[in-house]
Amino acid sequence: MNSLLKASRCVSLAGLYSGGALILAAAFLIGTDVLMRRFAGVTIGGADELAQFALAMGTAWSLGGALFDRAHIRVDSAYSRFPLQVRAILDILGLALFIFFFIFVTWHAFGVLGQSWTNGSVSHSALQIPIFIPQGLWVLGFVSFLFIATILLLDAVGKLMRGDFRAVSRVIGTKSAEEEVEEELALARATGEEADRR
Amino acid sequence: MILTTIVILLTLLVLAVPVAAALGVLGLSLSGLYSPLPLSYAMGEIAWTTSTNFLLVAIPLFVMLGEILLRSGMASRMYTALVLWMPWLPGGLMHSNIAACTMFSATSGSSVATAATIGTVAMEQIQKNSYNERLFLGTIAAGGTLGILIPPSVNLILYGVLTQTSIPQLYLAGLVPGLVLASLFSATVLVACIMKPAWGGRRTAVSWEQRLRALPDLLPPVVIFLAVIGSIYAGWATATEAAALGVVAALLIAALHGAVSLTMLKTAFEGTMKTTAMIMAVMIGAYFLNLVFGATGLGNLASQAISGLDLSPVQLFLLIVVFYLILGMFMETLSMMVATVPIITPIMITAGFDPIWLGIFIVVMMEIALITPPVGLNIFVVQGVRKKGRIEDVFVGALPFVVMMLVFVMLLYLFPQIVLALPEAVR
Repeated sequence: MNSLLKASRCVSLAGLYSGGALILAAAFLIGTDVLMRRFAGVTIGGADELAQFALAMGTAWSLGGALFDRAHIRVDSAYSRFPLQVRAILDILGLALFIFFFIFVTWHAFGVLGQSWTNGSVSHSALQIPIFIPQGLWVLGFVSFLFIATILLLDAVGKLMRGDFRAVSRVIGTKSAEEEVEEELALARATGEEADRR
Repeated sequence: MILTTIVILLTLLVLAVPVAAALGVLGLSLSGLYSPLPLSYAMGEIAWTTSTNFLLVAIPLFVMLGEILLRSGMASRMYTALVLWMPWLPGGLMHSNIAACTMFSATSGSSVATAATIGTVAMEQIQKNSYNERLFLGTIAAGGTLGILIPPSVNLILYGVLTQTSIPQLYLAGLVPGLVLASLFSATVLVACIMKPAWGGRRTAVSWEQRLRALPDLLPPVVIFLAVIGSIYAGWATATEAAALGVVAALLIAALHGAVSLTMLKTAFEGTMKTTAMIMAVMIGAYFLNLVFGATGLGNLASQAISGLDLSPVQLFLLIVVFYLILGMFMETLSMMVATVPIITPIMITAGFDPIWLGIFIVVMMEIALITPPVGLNIFVVQGVRKKGRIEDVFVGALPFVVMMLVFVMLLYLFPQIVLALPEAVR
């Protein structure tokens, strides 16, 4: 189980980094396009389309990373007043429903992908990208997310069986504002130290 | 049907089911209960069109812009410079807090990260210069909320996408109210400190040389603001393209400061994509739910129920204010907007309210939600930075600003031109 968790952690981090890199690349591409359009009167053509695909792929591949970091929002006004045991059960229920909804999304996303494949659809711009390429990578991102989420869920259920409620909450509980701020501060401090060194 | 919907949604939310799944599961249940055709077949198409919506590309771009500003240290340098420039008014640094928040707001959308950064730098000043602690904390919590009103704003993009309202127009509309609200905040501090001079803290003498030396630190936010907002109104760029220009500008300035490193980029990427994935998951659920609302006639049913109450526009307006005030005490703003905007805006537009004015009004109500107890994200953040004392201090400190914001909402109702003059002049 532990090696599986470690592997999913790696996959999800790689997803976040490559998603971010895609978005940054899209920013530069669009930025160049705007400036060239304004000052040289030419357009790259399809910059917006590539950015759209970057958003789709980046999102799908980052869902797992967000899950690992417990970044998916939950309304915890009532939750935070429940005892630890109840919270652990709600954590598992919440994750199970999240997985359920995304199995459903992924299933129908496969349908859309199949249609693009059989119709041989290409993108609207001059680039004429076969739609199944970005769409395939997008669906694959969902699939990888489902794997990661299931591994996390199994891990949490195992912890619940052992009666280790605290561990469940550590893996899939909501993040308290305190923790969130702690992280933000650690980053702010790191930024400050780096600036001081210069 | 309306009752069933509310019961299912509330149950899912009270059980702390992730918002994205709560919206999706609600959609599936309603479609199963009330729709003659299975609506789930549309899910794949909805997920793809949402994931590739060009307007939504602006969200990761603005989140990344904010991340770059924070992680490169530009943000904290800006605060330090503003501290040198603002301390002559009664209330001293509390005005710097508000000004710094306003300036941040003009470049980024993340109020949580902003309040944490400004808070960290500002907090030591309370004891050092003997300010009234509660009011000082209030300025940071309330000032931070301006982030979603002054463009660029992730919440305004969300509103624009959900209601198909022009985002450049919404940005223009947010500018004047943002500045007016910031001035009202400053006025609150001013009045409080004139009445109780002891609250205003000690002034530190600052030489003009120090001030001038700090001036360049104020430049980066100005340049980025001009790149983002200027390019939209010069007609060079759409909202999303402007966000891309902002990211490029921020990264180039950070590189000039020698603040770009692999570690910094990785941190920024991680933060950006986690937020993006979270928002996009909610959007996919919300779009599906919207389709179900439309197909089952629930949207119409809700508006009929409200028009059946036979409210005058004033009554409707007050009802919505109270509704958001109460909901905002318990809910987080993005989920609140996604859940309510598709239902409330059509009703209010039918009653004669302007869609652009509505966007600004709703965003101001979201700002209030950020600082009202028991759940107020900005309050939690400020208390977290402070790490001592009771959280009630921050709530009490923010209270005068909540009152001011409610007054401001009434002003918006009485003088809609505060919102509409600028977008109408440009249209």
